[in-house]
Amino acid sequence: MKSPTWIRILQLTAAAALAFGLVAALRAPVDAFQGEYSRIMHVHVPSSWLAFLAFGVTALASVMWRVRRTRRWDRLAASSAELGVLFTALSLLTGSIWGGGVWGTYWDWADPRMATTALMFFIYLGYLALRRTTDDPQAAASRASLLGIIAVIQVPLVYFSVNLFRGLHQGQSIRPDGVTMPTEMLMAMLINLAALTIVYVALLASRVHLMGREEGREAEAVAGAGVVAPRLEVGDA
Amino acid sequence: MRFWSQVREVARRDLLAEQRAGEVVSIVIPFGAVALMAFPLALGIDSAVISRVGPAVFWVVTLLFTMQIALRNSASDRPAHRAVLALLGVDPLARLLGRSLASAVLIGIFMAVLFPLMVLFYTPDLPRGWPAALIPAALSGIGLAEVATLAAELTAGLRTRSTLAPLIVAPLAIPLLIGASQAMESLAVGGSILPWVVLVTATDLALAVISALIARPLEEASL
Repeated sequence: MKSPTWIRILQLTAAAALAFGLVAALRAPVDAFQGEYSRIMHVHVPSSWLAFLAFGVTALASVMWRVRRTRRWDRLAASSAELGVLFTALSLLTGSIWGGGVWGTYWDWADPRMATTALMFFIYLGYLALRRTTDDPQAAASRASLLGIIAVIQVPLVYFSVNLFRGLHQGQSIRPDGVTMPTEMLMAMLINLAALTIVYVALLASRVHLMGREEGREAEAVAGAGVVAPRLEVGDA
Repeated sequence: MRFWSQVREVARRDLLAEQRAGEVVSIVIPFGAVALMAFPLALGIDSAVISRVGPAVFWVVTLLFTMQIALRNSASDRPAHRAVLALLGVDPLARLLGRSLASAVLIGIFMAVLFPLMVLFYTPDLPRGWPAALIPAALSGIGLAEVATLAAELTAGLRTRSTLAPLIVAPLAIPLLIGASQAMESLAVGGSILPWVVLVTATDLALAVISALIARPLEEASL
């Protein structure tokens, strides 16, 4: 069975947006000090923001699962956490490459943003590992939803770490009191943020859909194709 | 039975079970001492380096072995036992706090034994007024007990519990590790330990609030 048409349209839109973002990053002016390395920021910064968004969605969906107890919220929480880990890894990788070129080191323990981001990455790896410890989706959702809610406290810690501690990382460039970067560079970054957000939404929709199909197939395998698996909850998606 | 009486009873029962099993005293503490000895052997014979890293190694060993203490067999309830406690009307938060309290006592014993050993093995240059650093150290021990108990309860009954719980605890316990270790560093340069006490206390309080909020769903998830 193929994916629904709207998901395929979303995937194509994401591919086009990604290509557009790449062109915008390559055409944007470079920083006088950082040189070509400054182009990495057009991927690094949006990746970090999307990681925060993804983990926020996981926390919200976890709360909703505890309130409603419907599978769709758990699938959303799990899928968003997977994408959050992906974007955090991308952020760490691009940040490390940028640091190697500009700071002269790929990793610096004196930088609190790097260290807290890495810790956030490991917490959500633990979240994904917790989900895989049991075959019962209801039991996995019950435990994972709690960790999904607890773990999100790392997100503000990572975001504000550059203000709370001294380190190599620069502060936020986009602040309530103004923007500290040229308009052309800001535009390229915002285009890439929009493009990667579309990629996130497309991947999220695809993963949630796939997870639903996986669960349906497992239920079918257990009960047999001619038997409808018992439904333990009301409002299952 | 009132709430605090339940907390006290759960902690007393856990400590009694530990006294009989002797898991922490006869296994975890000696293992921790071996880990403390392994670092200088791996670092080589540069006594200046060994002396410098001593307190940091002590805190890393404490963080890692905290999980061994929280996951001890004497503090692992079987599903039937959990069900009985629930039927008896034991408050889930009282059970969580009681268990955290017992773990905090055992972590305190662990630290009290390993700190003199660290001083012996590493001969660190302890700053003047170092006993003041015991305040953030004690508060860190309480926080470690809280977060480790939460993780132990979250993974109760799972096959991969012994490896999964430390993966959850270690990143969440970092503010405690930073607060406790930096207090000593701060004293060494003539600074104040107050910011680190505030950091560790705030973390302890945040963990206590989280425990209060999730105690009931946590019991439901692990039944």
